[in-house]
Amino acid sequence: MDFALSDEQRMFQQMFADFATREIAPRAEEMDHAEELPPELLRKAAEQGFLGATLPEEVFGAALDYVSYVLLMEALARQSLSFAVALATHISLVAMSILEHGSQAQREEWLPPMADGEVIGAFALTEPDAGSDAAALQTRVRLDGQEAILNGVKTWVTNGESAGLFLVFAQGAEGMEAFLVPRDTPGLTVGYREPTLGLRSVSFNTLYLEGCRLPLAQRLGEPGSGWTIAQRAGDRMAIALAAAGLGLAAESLNVAAQFASERVQFGVPIAQKQAIQNYIAEAAIEVEALRALLYRTAWLAEQGGDYSFDASAVKVFAARVARNVTNRMVQVMGGYGYMEDYPMARKYRDARMLGIIGGPTELHRVRVARHIFAERDLAIVP
Amino acid sequence: MRIIVVIGRVLDPAGIVVNRRAGRIFVNREEYILQPADRCALEAALRVKDAAGAEVIALPRSLLPDDDVLRQALARGADRAIHLVGQVGNLPYEDAAMTRVLAAAVQRLGGADLILTGATTLDTGQSQLGPRLAEALGWPQILGAWQVTIQRVSESAKWMMQAVVMAQRATLKDVILSDRRERRISWLHERETLRCAQGDIFGAVRRDGAGYVTVEADLPAVVTVAPGALKLRYPDGVRLINVYRAGDAVERWEVSDLVDEAALRPQLEKRGQEFPPERERGVRLSGTPEEMAQALAETLRQRMRR
Amino acid sequence: MDFTFSPEHTALRRMVREFAENEVAPLAMQMDRQHRVPLEMIRRLGQTGLLGVCFPQEYGGMGAGETGYCILMEELGRVCTSTATIVGAHIGIGAMAIHLDGNDEQKRKYLTPLARGEKIAAFGLTESGAGSDAANIRTRAVREGDSWILDGGKVFITNGGHADIITVMAVTDPSLGARGGITAFIVETAWEGFSVAREEDKMGIRGSSTAELVFEELRVPHENVLGKVGEGFITFMKALDMGRLTLGAASLGGAQASLEWAVRWARTRRQFGVELAHKQSVQWMIANMATEIEALRSLVYRVAWMVDTGQPFGQLAAMCKMYGSEVASRAIDMALQIHGGLGLTRDFPIERGFRDARIAEIYEGTNEVQRIVIATNIFREHGVRIRP
Repeated sequence: MDFALSDEQRMFQQMFADFATREIAPRAEEMDHAEELPPELLRKAAEQGFLGATLPEEVFGAALDYVSYVLLMEALARQSLSFAVALATHISLVAMSILEHGSQAQREEWLPPMADGEVIGAFALTEPDAGSDAAALQTRVRLDGQEAILNGVKTWVTNGESAGLFLVFAQGAEGMEAFLVPRDTPGLTVGYREPTLGLRSVSFNTLYLEGCRLPLAQRLGEPGSGWTIAQRAGDRMAIALAAAGLGLAAESLNVAAQFASERVQFGVPIAQKQAIQNYIAEAAIEVEALRALLYRTAWLAEQGGDYSFDASAVKVFAARVARNVTNRMVQVMGGYGYMEDYPMARKYRDARMLGIIGGPTELHRVRVARHIFAERDLAIVP
Repeated sequence: MRIIVVIGRVLDPAGIVVNRRAGRIFVNREEYILQPADRCALEAALRVKDAAGAEVIALPRSLLPDDDVLRQALARGADRAIHLVGQVGNLPYEDAAMTRVLAAAVQRLGGADLILTGATTLDTGQSQLGPRLAEALGWPQILGAWQVTIQRVSESAKWMMQAVVMAQRATLKDVILSDRRERRISWLHERETLRCAQGDIFGAVRRDGAGYVTVEADLPAVVTVAPGALKLRYPDGVRLINVYRAGDAVERWEVSDLVDEAALRPQLEKRGQEFPPERERGVRLSGTPEEMAQALAETLRQRMRR
Repeated sequence: MDFTFSPEHTALRRMVREFAENEVAPLAMQMDRQHRVPLEMIRRLGQTGLLGVCFPQEYGGMGAGETGYCILMEELGRVCTSTATIVGAHIGIGAMAIHLDGNDEQKRKYLTPLARGEKIAAFGLTESGAGSDAANIRTRAVREGDSWILDGGKVFITNGGHADIITVMAVTDPSLGARGGITAFIVETAWEGFSVAREEDKMGIRGSSTAELVFEELRVPHENVLGKVGEGFITFMKALDMGRLTLGAASLGGAQASLEWAVRWARTRRQFGVELAHKQSVQWMIANMATEIEALRSLVYRVAWMVDTGQPFGQLAAMCKMYGSEVASRAIDMALQIHGGLGLTRDFPIERGFRDARIAEIYEGTNEVQRIVIATNIFREHGVRIRP
């Protein structure tokens, strides 16, 4: 057992934190109120190599190991959960799917511009009638010679506004398929943007695919491998979201602890009150527990193999910790926690999103249970 | 002036579920609300009261186990409410007997200038009480009014009533009305006012679309008010509390004191219950928008041929 | 024991629900989005007499007691937390202070128009340095002949931006502190020296005004001293006790709405081939919500009954506020979870409910302060005196 970060990882951690405090923190509130992801911030992140964080060097990625990637997400989310989630979507859901399942040509075509920030990735799986139940997809793909024709409607397409490339899932003759659909493909329309509770700088759009015709070469992976691609992407995203949750919770704790040591009531800083101490202590315990589980899961993912049990577990736990911690920290700050002029209100709204995006907590719990019962030869039906 | 408003209650539709397969109506929450058309009649009465000054007396449209609807009328501004206590069969449809009871109640009150009630009931779709009452009293009747106003005819110092009714409702005279819907009521007031003799049913028809016509009648008269015609005002809070707190806010009259037993004999009995035929299920279209639009157009074309 | 509502309270609930669903609910989303206080609707609410629900009829009220007031707050809370907040600050604390400790003349002059909704009240207690520690206020009032001169300011004042009458707590004798040194005043916002410094931008209850107020040499005639000079803190604490109970009622309404939304969606939404209602995860959430709501309902109306029958209720009112706000937060949280992505979009009331519900754990005494109140009461019975 060795729980220490390597020298390299520590160096990265410092660098990520510098970037977050210098570049993101001053803009975080304004970004949220304007509900925008500033392009220059993306460009700056790309210059640092963050947009190709886990991609290999041959496609101009930063070749971060999984633990370092988790440190990146944590650091970004400390200042803006929106920014972390937008990046996680780009990297974990789209770029890494291409790296893992794409052909040589696809990798060469898409990964360098993605690592560069020229092309932002969006993930289009959810549909109006298929949220948690991804097998109920209504979007259809029809093959026509060497071309594929996509028809359907997608909702909650993360990064829909800024994306240059959409990873679209559709039901084909041989099961679910995944396609790389560039934004300028005729028949693809980016529609309504959901006004959301939190993560207001992330765009969640409706996507219309109307006779969207592409070369069959844009299919990702083997015929019928869409389900596997979606699952693997989901596992990666679960870890990234958990890391973002950790950053959010840790920073909330930091902000509220600072407030508690400065705010005087009944003649003393409120930090002297046991009620406040309880909140802070509980939050710190949960943050540290999450950190341990998360880093371990990241290490496990780095080893390769199937880590879907651990990914679901850490996602559920992180969503809960982020929710609990921000909830308590709002309470520590009282009225100031509720005002939009202070960062805590935004963190509270953002935290709530983590229990639903990337698969709701209930679904991940079912996946955890499925692993437990699979060891006992019992198949769980959703 | 005295206005009598006849009101009833209906099971809150939000609290029931109609189960066709079981052939039953399940009552999840037994709560009663004012009949929607009677709400409008009550509002019409209160508006006349506001404009011309009148005593508004509420009476029930059927014999009810409690006086809640009458208290509601008092809370909203009625001056008196009389709960009629007794028994007329087991069904709420005994309009013939109720007409005799109500006519007798009107007599006992010493007559009235105007009787208002809902044009139809939500649950049983009855529309007869108003016409029957007018017939029994020998008064003119106007059915399905959307607006009721009272004017004093200056030379005779007599009250005259105007009601705005939907044009299609009656067919005695053919009057073609304008299509200018947006100005419908006020415009019609200026243009087409039909003066009719007592005892007539007044109205007008038009070729297409909805229109309104203003009709006038001398008082006393019976007017039924269309459901949805007027928005009933909210109760006055203080009145509401006092009316519900006072045990004697509603007067109680025994129907046996008003009419003899023969008049109360039920004329209807329930022989069973049936549901209307099931409606055809819709079809969910799929495919591209073009395919779906084509399929829809084709279906519409077939329907029209049929 | 009799747990049924009286006929007048049943009728009152029906009346309030009719008003809430027809007049308030359609405005709720717009109020939140535009950050706008619906003064026109509040005026109409006043015309029905409901803004005087618990005040005596001789002062223009309905005389429906605390139970009636809880019914009003529950039904408003069910459709719009902002409206419940406006009404709560108006009746429950602003006007309540005058009702509790005003003299006949003050009630005639101020309570009557407040009860009829012709004027709107606010409650001026919190200051930037005095939140939970309410006795630590700094606003000063100095006697000058027949008047008092107020100097200072208040923060986070609900209705502050549009109130006509504000009951203000100020220090009249700094040497005495909360016991004897603080006095309550009735202040008209039209008077010279009163100004609104700013409106807060809040996470939720965006349809209500939360403002920062400034008093600069504000001259208040002596007849506007509420209660006795030096006893303002007691007046305000009594008003807050009443307010707490009815905030519990508003939370009850909010929680009830969450349950109704959750049930409706669980009946409609199909995933994995069945309605969500058939999933045990969802059933558990519904069952937990419903149980907590029923427990809260019993608590709220029992305490209302205690108020109406003149029993001491301070500790239980604190429980109502604290437990109510937490039940409402848990309920909306579960409703949001059941709605999934739909619960996160601002096109749907769940998202607003989630932001709105959170304030109830904070305002009118944070839940931590409520716990102190409860514990203090319990330990007092055992001879232990707790200092906050």
